[in-house]
Amino acid sequence: MHMNGIVAATMAVLLCGTPLAAQDTLRIASGSKVTSLDPIATAAAGNIEAYGQLYTHLVRKDHDGTFKPGLAQSWDISPDGLTYTFELRPSKFSDGSDITADDVAFSLLRVAKDKSSAYPAGFAPIKEVTAVDADTVKMMLDYPSAPMLSNLEIFNAGIVSKADVEKRGEEAFTVNPVASGPYMVKEWKPNDRLTLAANPNYWREGLPKIKTVDLIEVSDDNARATMLMAGEIDVDRHVPWPQIDEVNNSPNVSVKLEPSTVLYLVLPNLAKPPFDNPIVRKAAAMALDRAAITNAVTLGHATVANSTLPNALNYYDKNVSPPAYDPAGARKLLEDAGLLGTEINMMIVPSYAQTATLLKAQWDAVGFKTNVEQVDVGLFWSNLTSGEFEATTTWYYNETEDPDLAVRWALCGTCGSKSFYTNYDNPEVDKLTEEALREQDPTKRGALYSKIQQITVDDLPQIPLYYAPYSNGYSDHVKGLSLTPALQWTLEDAELTGG
Amino acid sequence: MRLLQAVPVLFGVSIITFALMVATPGDPIRLLVGDHASPETVAALRDQYGLDAPIHVQYLKYITNLATGDLGKSLRYRVPVSQLIAQHYPVTLFLVLYTIVLTLPPVFALSVWSAKRQNGPADQIIRLLGVLGLAVPVFWLALLLARFFGVTLGWFPVSGFGATIPAHFLHLFLPALSTMIWVVPILVRTLRSALLDEMNRDYVLTGMAKGLGERQIFRKHILPNSILPTLNLFAVIVAYLLGGSVIVETVYAVPGMGKLMVESILARDYFVVQGATLVFAMTTILVMLAVDVVSALIDPRVTP
Repeated sequence: MHMNGIVAATMAVLLCGTPLAAQDTLRIASGSKVTSLDPIATAAAGNIEAYGQLYTHLVRKDHDGTFKPGLAQSWDISPDGLTYTFELRPSKFSDGSDITADDVAFSLLRVAKDKSSAYPAGFAPIKEVTAVDADTVKMMLDYPSAPMLSNLEIFNAGIVSKADVEKRGEEAFTVNPVASGPYMVKEWKPNDRLTLAANPNYWREGLPKIKTVDLIEVSDDNARATMLMAGEIDVDRHVPWPQIDEVNNSPNVSVKLEPSTVLYLVLPNLAKPPFDNPIVRKAAAMALDRAAITNAVTLGHATVANSTLPNALNYYDKNVSPPAYDPAGARKLLEDAGLLGTEINMMIVPSYAQTATLLKAQWDAVGFKTNVEQVDVGLFWSNLTSGEFEATTTWYYNETEDPDLAVRWALCGTCGSKSFYTNYDNPEVDKLTEEALREQDPTKRGALYSKIQQITVDDLPQIPLYYAPYSNGYSDHVKGLSLTPALQWTLEDAELTGG
Repeated sequence: MRLLQAVPVLFGVSIITFALMVATPGDPIRLLVGDHASPETVAALRDQYGLDAPIHVQYLKYITNLATGDLGKSLRYRVPVSQLIAQHYPVTLFLVLYTIVLTLPPVFALSVWSAKRQNGPADQIIRLLGVLGLAVPVFWLALLLARFFGVTLGWFPVSGFGATIPAHFLHLFLPALSTMIWVVPILVRTLRSALLDEMNRDYVLTGMAKGLGERQIFRKHILPNSILPTLNLFAVIVAYLLGGSVIVETVYAVPGMGKLMVESILARDYFVVQGATLVFAMTTILVMLAVDVVSALIDPRVTP
């Protein structure tokens, strides 16, 4: 039969195909896309994961979470907390040119002030950054910011080459970008893969150990899991909960659940009925058996959320709690207010269908009437950011372990994002947010953040559902690699062992 | 002449695609910069990328650039659309040609086999398998094949395109096989019934009476006459394969045009969608033209 002939021929090709050479390339497949290599251009997940490899930072966090000097070998903070002076270590960009104080000042001003900077929130206090001499940088703030130093480790504060960006503009990030981090771009095939090569000029000598890294874009969860089990990739960024057991039962691969700052939540729109009514929000929260939802969706791999802040953040308060599960109480609340039969129109993207089904069932059980509308990602973000929704369910993560940015993003009404677009605006929370940013004493800061968490689990600008760890699949021969809560691969310390 | 006709067709396609993309809600810039960006940043970029101009002005600019061969720049990647197409198109083209090469031998073998033994056990089995092949959803089958041949047996790669030509054949084998499983039955059904029709025509009897051998009648007369309808269907299927590459390219993580198209639509990357659509349209036109030429070679009554 012709069929057999062809299969045989293909098998022959397979057999004379190149055997797997000793592996020096690490292959990571992710559903998140790398769309830009300019660290200030976007705050979307796939890009964040790549930026950290290409652009180094003034400070860096070690794999145990402690702060270490980065490009800055030392620094001095004035007693009023308004002037930071950094001493840079001698170092070079991937093209061999020196990294100077000018480059640092340029990069920090760019992320803080450039009108196309996608996420300047962490750098808002910055007034001016200047180069004192070739290896001294002075950063002046308008007002003190407790997390300023740790914010310098955020993905978009990476150091880029001033000369190159000024010379080539946009092209500096599409064709052979000049890198300062552990890796540089070997080849970028947009919509397919970003191949990184070790940067020979990286300031940490002898690192990285892995010479080549492929960041491959594979949007389908099943395809990635199959690739991992077939040995075609070494790391699968996100194994869906139901597939964790299957991957763990396969030889030579396993799933690691790693701490994240990811919080899954329900977002009501407080500018529109029905969720402008606090009674409706309270009843909606009491109607939800959040533990059951967490278990059903994540198969017990996640922790039920008790606070409006992710549990991996500093000053997370484990003692606060949104209204407890009480369907009878929820129904009574609605009944007493004459709100039985209140309609909820919930907008979701297709991947939330299961969560939405559970939410609908529990809301409808206490007397709501829930309609679920599926939209694609493009429409979702347009509707969300323009306030064209009644309720939705989604997630967010925080870039650092400091809660300032999380509060600004998800709970503050005057910080630019309208409390994650819910239009929640409690002046007290807004005031506490600014106060907590400026407070330098950790104990007092902790108290301020506890207060914010207490107020917001009562006001319910969001119904927190669960804290999800990252579920990344790793091949057994990858050592020392993890994804930090700040969404950065610890590639420079990773190794490939054996075959 | 036929190629000239392509110009108004492509023009129409470009207008329709442009209108559809503009009418689709969702802001490419918001998707580009991420949820954290301020409305001011989004507005500044919209302006910078020329998305705030009136639609007809945008289209006019697009079509003028197109006339000079410039497909524009991707909103997301800031690289020329032509670069993206040059990167993805060969992959899909390879996959489609590979699928065709794998498809044709079994189509001929099975339809001839089954037509010559009409209603025999072989015919029944082939027809039954055909229905099965048609009924199985491609994405599900593809997933099973990937798990079985890729993971359990480890015979074939389950993803990617490979770097060399032999590697392309290897990497795209499962995707081509998955596609072939539903394409073969469609073509076998058509060719089989065409063969049966032709076999019962009077000219066959005439041929026999003239003393021609059975094989000769079959090869010289029955087969050429039966192929024409199948060939036209085949052209439609090839056009469909180009568009349908989306499914297998997703399941097997093949970086081809289907993937580019889907991701670009999701990201509202207008110019990439435009460019990809035009390339799809152009390819379809060329395939149709090629099929007409081949038909004319087989049957001189058909003029291309």
